[in-house]
Amino acid sequence: MLPLSLLNAAQNKPMLVELKNGETFNGHLVNCDNFMNITLREVYQTNADGDRFWKVKECYIRGSTIKYLRVPDTLLDAVKEEQTRAREAGKSARGSHISGAGGRGRGIPQRGRGGARGGPIRGGGRGRGRGM
Amino acid sequence: MHALSCLTSPSSPGKMLVVLRDGRKLHGVLRSYDQFANLVLEDTVERIYSGNAFAEKWCGLFLIRGENVVLLGEVDLDQEDDIPLRQVDFHVLDGYHRQDIATKKQRDEAKAKILYEQKGFCKEGGEGDGY
Repeated sequence: MLPLSLLNAAQNKPMLVELKNGETFNGHLVNCDNFMNITLREVYQTNADGDRFWKVKECYIRGSTIKYLRVPDTLLDAVKEEQTRAREAGKSARGSHISGAGGRGRGIPQRGRGGARGGPIRGGGRGRGRGM
Repeated sequence: MHALSCLTSPSSPGKMLVVLRDGRKLHGVLRSYDQFANLVLEDTVERIYSGNAFAEKWCGLFLIRGENVVLLGEVDLDQEDDIPLRQVDFHVLDGYHRQDIATKKQRDEAKAKILYEQKGFCKEGGEGDGY
C-alpha cells in the first residue's frame, strides 16, 4: 500500500491538509493525482497562526506545497480489506485460467522421460508484492 | 534497494520517530513509504518537549510528503523508558513549548542580524525560502 494509493483510496473522505507554510485545509477529497495535487470540497481554511478562518466551497492544492495530510484512522483497515478481497478474486480467476491453459498445454510433444519438466520455475519470490 | 527498506519490516512494526522540517516530532508506526520518502504513519502522536517535561497529542493516521522529512528512525522502547523526562498533559506544556519556539526564533533573528550587519554574511531566508 503505497502512500499515494492510500491518498487515492481517500477520495470522498474528510481530511486535513497542512501546507509547508503552515496553513491548513479541512475538507473532503474530491480528486488527486500522482503529483499529490488535490482538490477538496467544503473546505475550512486556517492561517498558519490558527487565528483566522475561511470557508471555501472548493479548492485546488498543488502537491508540491503540501507538508502532510491527515486522513481517517479507519482508512488503512478499509484499504487492506479491499486489497485482500481483490487478491482473493484475482486468485480464483487466475486459478481457472491456469487449469485451462494446462489442458491445452498437454497437446505439445513430450520431452524426454524423467528429464527436467516444465518451463521456467514458477512461484517463488517474484510476482505479487507483499501487500504493503 | 531503497535506503528505507532496512527500516521497515512487515514482521516487526516498530515505533518510529519522524522529525519534520518545521521541527515537529511525530511518533508512530511506519506502514509504507515510496521513492520520495513519502510516509504513511499509523497511530501517530505528536510529541513536544520543554524543560524536563514532554507531552503527547494523538494525531492518528498521517501521510507525510517526503520533502518535509528531516529524520526517520526506530525508537528503542527499552531505552525510551530510561529517559529522565516526565510526561505531562499536552495543554499544560503547549504554552511553554510555543514560548520556547518564539524565544528561539528571536535569538536566531538577532544572530542573523549581527552576522549580516557586522560580520559580512549574506542574508538567509526570506520570501519563498520556507517552501
